[in-house]
Amino acid sequence: MFRFEQVSRYPLKKMDFQIEKKEKVILFGPSGSGKSTLLFLFNRLHNPTEGTIYFEGQNVKEYPFTELRKRVGLVLQEPNLFPGTVLDNIKYGPSLFGEWKEEDGELLMGYVQLPSTYLNRDVEQLSGGEKQRVSLARTLANQPEVLLLDEPTSALDYRTAEDIEEVLEQLINQHELTMIMVTHDMRQARRLGNRGLFITEGKVMEDGKLPDMLDSPASQELKEFLEE
Amino acid sequence: MEPEISNQSLLFLVVFVLIPLSLSYFYQLGLNKNIIWSSLRGTVQLFAIGYLLTYLFELPAMIGIPFMISIMLTVAAFHARKKGMGLPNVLLYIFIGLLVIEVSVLSLWLIFDMVAFTPSEVIPMSGMVIGNSMVAMGLALERMKNEFKENNGRLLAALSLGAKPSTASKLIVQKTLNAALIPNVDQLKTIGLVQLPGMMTGLILGGVAPVTAIKYQLVISISIFSSVSLSAMFITLAMYRYFFNEQGQLVDSEEEIRSEA
Repeated sequence: MFRFEQVSRYPLKKMDFQIEKKEKVILFGPSGSGKSTLLFLFNRLHNPTEGTIYFEGQNVKEYPFTELRKRVGLVLQEPNLFPGTVLDNIKYGPSLFGEWKEEDGELLMGYVQLPSTYLNRDVEQLSGGEKQRVSLARTLANQPEVLLLDEPTSALDYRTAEDIEEVLEQLINQHELTMIMVTHDMRQARRLGNRGLFITEGKVMEDGKLPDMLDSPASQELKEFLEE
Repeated sequence: MEPEISNQSLLFLVVFVLIPLSLSYFYQLGLNKNIIWSSLRGTVQLFAIGYLLTYLFELPAMIGIPFMISIMLTVAAFHARKKGMGLPNVLLYIFIGLLVIEVSVLSLWLIFDMVAFTPSEVIPMSGMVIGNSMVAMGLALERMKNEFKENNGRLLAALSLGAKPSTASKLIVQKTLNAALIPNVDQLKTIGLVQLPGMMTGLILGGVAPVTAIKYQLVISISIFSSVSLSAMFITLAMYRYFFNEQGQLVDSEEEIRSEA
């Protein structure tokens, strides 16, 4: 589905890897290793300074950026909701493409396990966990084929983070989405991922199956990272 | 009879300067030099402009008006640019914006016979329009830069959902325009109730009947209101796109903004 060929953008150096459809990839590694930068390359919120990224066999530069971003959805660490109601937020994406249907509101609330009465609620009245669910619903409203997640639970308390994880787990399995997620939480990585890319100093140090690569790390760097 | 303050009386203004000066001295505010310098500078500037205006008012309108307005536009553009440092071509945009607004307002004044095409009427009134537009553009630029910084996450969210830069930045454009326009809306609401506006006060002191003074004040207040709205809107809409590149990506630093241009 995605192919990176010699892709560089500070701090990433000559990244070469491929991601297949329906894979659940966890990007992890020390802070500053370039995980979020890498994530933003998938939907062209960043451009590589060198190398080429292919999506479905075609250079990402050949897609109109609006179409690519619709197909490759992103959920950020902070919900970053727009002022207004929950409904205003979740119809934002589809409305850009003239694809919003009123009945989708309830459906999307169901996906993220929120009551449909929340649709008309002002986003300012929501808790942190609820806001992140709305952010997830807003991305799902575009019916993406790939879901990029940038530490979506790191700003939440343990309990709320677990609830969001459960929502994510169900969604990804039900909709057979390809998932690429940055996380520092190795418990979360084991639960949600089936492949791990350990990134350190801008390079893929290890690429393997989850949870095996966490149970028996091949490199000294990964061993040290897991012990920290 | 023309009211006049004698030079002797004017000298006693020193007393008014001594008040903040002594406050600064006793409370060690470190403003002594600044107070003396700004008072002296203000006095010299005003006398200079007084003599210059006397000279300009005697010149034929077709020479005096364009000459003074060009100076006003240039100074205002350079001043407003300070708030938009780092944005490409900002000086040019501000200058063009101010020029178009001034020419439009002046044309309307003349077409509807509100103001006579004489330096003594056009220059002070244009000065007020240009000055207020300059402040509005500066405020809009400053606010826009802050809003782009503060709303980085929301902008990323909007772009990542497939929004084009023009759509993604709607929220910021709205907030910027609001911030630039609200002071004027508020001022217009309380005009004459809280304080008598400067122009009207000046005319009344100059011996003009209050109702006549009000008419002039209305012309200038409404003209300022519309030119301020236009200035803020023009500069915001002209500059927001420099915060993005052609691939719908946010341009992060000011250096990047310059290189994208």
